[in-house]
Order: sequence, then structure tokens, then C-alpha cells
Amino acid sequence: MTAVVLAATIGALFALGTFLLLRRDLIRVVWGLTIISQAANLYLLTMGGIAPATAESVPVLAGHGDHVPETADPLVQALVLTAIVIGFGMTAFALVLSYRVYEEHDTLDVTNLGDHK
Amino acid sequence: MATTPIGTNSQLVIAPMLIVLVTAVATLLLGRRPQARAAVSLGGGAAYAVAVAAIDWYVVLAPNAPGIATYQVGDWPAPIGITLVADGLSAFMLTMVAVLGVASLVFSTRHLPGDEGRSYYFPLFHFLALGVTGAFLTGDLFNLFVWFEVMLMASYVFVAYSGGPEHTRAAFWYVSLNLLASAVFLLGVGGIYASTGTLNMADLARRLAEPAAYGLDPVPVVGLLGLLLSVFAIKAGLVPFQFWIPSAYRAAPPQITALLAGATKKVGIYAIIRLSFTVFAGAEIAVDLGVPGTGFAIDSPLSFVGVALFLMAGASILVGGIGAVGRDSLEGVFAYSSIGQVGFIAIPVAIAATTTSPELRQLGIVAALVYALNHTLAKGLLFLAVGAVRSATGTSSFADLGGLAKRSPALAIAVFIGSLALVGIPPLSGFFGKFLVFDAAARSASAGPALVLLLVGSLLTIAYSTRMWNRSFWGAQTDAVETAAIDPLQVAVLVVLATAILAVGVGFEPVYEFAGAAADAALDTEGYVDAVDPADASDLADSSGGDHT
Repeated sequence: MTAVVLAATIGALFALGTFLLLRRDLIRVVWGLTIISQAANLYLLTMGGIAPATAESVPVLAGHGDHVPETADPLVQALVLTAIVIGFGMTAFALVLSYRVYEEHDTLDVTNLGDHK
Repeated sequence: MATTPIGTNSQLVIAPMLIVLVTAVATLLLGRRPQARAAVSLGGGAAYAVAVAAIDWYVVLAPNAPGIATYQVGDWPAPIGITLVADGLSAFMLTMVAVLGVASLVFSTRHLPGDEGRSYYFPLFHFLALGVTGAFLTGDLFNLFVWFEVMLMASYVFVAYSGGPEHTRAAFWYVSLNLLASAVFLLGVGGIYASTGTLNMADLARRLAEPAAYGLDPVPVVGLLGLLLSVFAIKAGLVPFQFWIPSAYRAAPPQITALLAGATKKVGIYAIIRLSFTVFAGAEIAVDLGVPGTGFAIDSPLSFVGVALFLMAGASILVGGIGAVGRDSLEGVFAYSSIGQVGFIAIPVAIAATTTSPELRQLGIVAALVYALNHTLAKGLLFLAVGAVRSATGTSSFADLGGLAKRSPALAIAVFIGSLALVGIPPLSGFFGKFLVFDAAARSASAGPALVLLLVGSLLTIAYSTRMWNRSFWGAQTDAVETAAIDPLQVAVLVVLATAILAVGVGFEPVYEFAGAAADAALDTEGYVDAVDPADASDLADSSGGDHT
């Protein structure tokens, strides 16, 4: 069940990201890139698998009562954390850059930015 | 290093990365002292070159060198910890970066483009080098992603560096494209982790070679390899992923464009060679994807890479060559030429991937590496020459140039040698590059189309080099050229690079041996696995696996 929900979510995120990426407004392009990066992160997390944990594998959770919930693969969690940090920095840079584009070209419309010289 | 034998857990492997990281931070701290910053920067560059030379000698070229050295970061063993690996292939690539990096660094101490951004120039330069070095040395896929990002972050800033409308727009498309590529890279990495249960390249190679022993299904890996191939093709600038190159190369400062063309492009090529030949070559996966009428039979991941690469490389040669003929500025010609030249590097890789003969496979990789070396030296020289012309005359468009040869014969001779190396005239390094590429093509199963492509590409190279030369170096001197103050240090760097091109051509034997050792290292999957992760296969089979969820 979890797998189906996750697959649907990832698919929806990619669809939304691609849609935004193809807009004329630069800010929407940045949104599209952010959403696609998030979809990739979610996909990465899903690919590690979500399995029932035991007290040995998640000692922190085991200390809080008997119930240990299902957990994602800790390795992919580490990978996704790295990917999120990188993606966050890149998004910030892309936003600053789109502000610069606005300053230099007085527009955020992709079609008005002109072609190569 | 003295106490640890080379090969097992050698600190020598991490030395270039540490040096370049320390230099980057030091130059950042020295932001307000230009003299000290340039001195530290040059010192760091020299130390980097020494560290790379030490790796070349102790790991690859010395008489009893081990051929491969590893460093397990934090002493965590291979499949779990982060592994750095230096073998012939990494060492060869690092050497190219070191030579071009030092040349570009010396060049950069004069006439930095733009004044306000100066204090960030050198730290960014070293972070770019750090990313490239990390990508060459890393032993696992996710860290390859991380080092790609480090390299890209620095290059984003450089593309936007000059700060005009053109540059900002070029940077925006460059950033967008690469963010998308990073997401695709993550998809490939995630998929490979899900199908094989590991991201360590050595572990991956071992599992793919005997999938049954690890209970995994390797078929999805072929498609995922296709995803990764497209990411690396973007970095290498192969058609159809070449469209960002002309504007980004025009926007970045020329000495950085030299690095983008000479070093970061090679990261894409390196990743393709490393993953296809060292990691995926062992996988015997039947893929039913025959392309009718081409003579190619796609029956393994490697031949899939080969066919895809062949098509992309062929298109690159044509698009780059034809594009370069029509440009109206120096860096426009060289940027398109760069697209075409990377096709010449990729064709022998494709031939090596499709063939079944071990000799031809080795020859193909040697040809690609020698050609890559030639491209790094020649294109590095030419882009630095653009920088010299631009800082002297303030322009690089053909309309405002003319008669440069009379104004500065040394500059002209250096550019002439660089262009001849691109064309492939003996005794320059380009001759052997071209010769080996043609040799590999002639022996391959698809000799006809490959040779025609290479021939057309070579003719186009002659055409645009001649045109570039006629328009800017011969003819009447324009006002811009007459009043130009050409910097002697910059010209000296160009002359040194031109001498290096000549020296590689004249003393080709050791270069050929080094490239041969690099190709052997790329093809020696077993040696790579043994050096990185000598654990017994049966220990790992039950500890983790591909059967998540």
C-alpha cells in the first residue's frame, strides 16, 4: 500500500515539476526544478525500501516504548539528506540568479529574454 | 606516506584533495590581501601538481608500482565507508587537470576579468579543482554525484561571473539544465541502489558480474546506465546535450572556460569510461535491442553504451564542426570546436564498448585518452589565448580583430601550434591523438561510417581553424590590435603550453605508455575490485542485498 501511495506521489510531483519547468515565467521554472529535485529525493528514499524496524536497527526509537515503526533504509536517509542540502543551496542560487535576470532584462518572461547574440 | 605502503591505505591518494581544499579556504580567508592571495593560490597549485606527480610516479609509473592505491576515509572498510581510489585512469586525468590548472592559475594572476568579484576568483577556482579531483578519485556513485555538485557550484558562479545581461541569462540556463541533470543523476543512483543494494563501484562491479550469487536482477541496471549516460553526456557536452555550451563558454572568463573545456568536460568522459568499462563491463545481461541495418548488436550494457555513444559522438562532430565554421568570434569558434572535439574523444570509447576484441578495446580507450590529453592542452591554450587577446584588445570578435600575428608573433605562434594540434599535424600531440582514433576506427566493425565521420570532422576542423586564423591573425591591423598592450606573462604561459604540445608529440613514447597503463586500469575490473574491497564474496551476500522491500 505504501509503495502505491509513494509511486503515485512521485509520479504526481514529476508531472507537476515538468509542467512548471515548461512555463514562461522564470520563477515557475525555479519552482519546477525544486519540485523535480524533491521528487528525485523522495524516489531515492523509496528506492532504499521501507521495512519494519527492530529494536537493534533503531535503538533510539526502541527507547520510547515497545512500538518500533516502519523505517526507511538509514543509508538512503543519509544520501537524501546530502541531496537536500545540495538542492537547497542550488535553489537559493537559482532564485538569486532569476532576480539578477529580472534586474538586467526587466522581465521574467523566458520568451522576452532574446536569443543568442 | 613514508610509513604506509602504497596500495593499501595510502594517504597519498587524498593528498591532492586536501591540498586544494586547504588552498581554497586559505585564499578565502586572505580575501583582502591580493598579493598574498595570489601567492598562496600559486603555491597551492604547485603543491597540487607535486601531489599529482607523486601519485603518477608511486602508483602508476614507478618500476614496481602497485598500479592502484586506495584510501578508506576514516578507516571504514570499502562497501560501507567512503573510498578514494587512484589508479592509472584517475592519475592520467588528474595529470591533465594539474597541467592545465597551473597554467590557468599563472595566467589568472594577471588581468582578472571584473574588479569587484576578484576576491572570490581564486577560492572558486580551487573549489572547481576540488570537485574535479574528487570526481576522479571517488570510489562510489553517490560521492561522484556530490563531487559533480561541488564542481558545478563553482562553475555556476563563474558563468555568471562577469555580470552582464548575456552572462546572467547564460548562467540561468546553465544552472537550470544542471539542476535537472542532478535530479536525473539521483534517479539513476537510487535505481542502482534499489536493484543492486550497493553504490560502491567495486562492490557494484562484483555483484553485477555474478548476479545470481547475490540474488539480484541486473536487467533494470541497463536502463539506469542509460540515465547516467545522459547525465555524463551533458557534462561532456555531447550532442544532443550540447546546447548550453556556446553561451556558457562565452559567458565564463576565458581562463575558466579553458578549465571547463579542458577539465570538467573530461569528468564526463572519465565517468563514462569508468562506469562502462570498470563497473558494468562484467555484467552479462542479455538485452534485446537490436538496431536494424547498423551492424550493431546490442547484447550487453556495454554495447548499449557503445551504440548510444557512437550516435551522440557522430552528431557532435558534425554539429560542432559545422557550428564552428560560422561563428564570428574567437571563443564562439572554440566553443563549437569543443563540441566537435569531444566527439573525437567519444568515438573510440564507443568503438571500445561495442567490440569484443580485448586489443581493440584497449586501443580504443588509449586513443580516447591521448585525444583527451591533446584536447586539454590545445583547447586550454586556445581559450587562454582568447583571454590574452581579450585583456589586451577588449574584444574577441573577428570584426574588430586582424593582424594579431604582426602585433605579437609569440602569441600567434602559440595559437598556430594549438590550432595545428587540433587539426592533427605531426609532430604535435594532436597527430598521435588523431592517428590512434583513426586506427581504432579502421579496425572496428563499423569502420565505414566511423571513418567517414572522422574524416568530415577533420576537414571541418581545418576549415574553421583556417578561418579563425585568417580573420584574426592575418590581414590589416585594426585599431584595437594596434593599441593592444599584450601581457608578456600571459603570452609566456601560452608559449609554455605550446611547448608542452610539441613535447608530448616529440616524446610520445612515455605518454603512450601512461595512456596504456590508464586504459589497462580502466579495463581491469578484477584488479579494481581486489584493491578497493578485497572482502570475500560470501561474507557480503547475507549482510545486505538487492531485496529491499
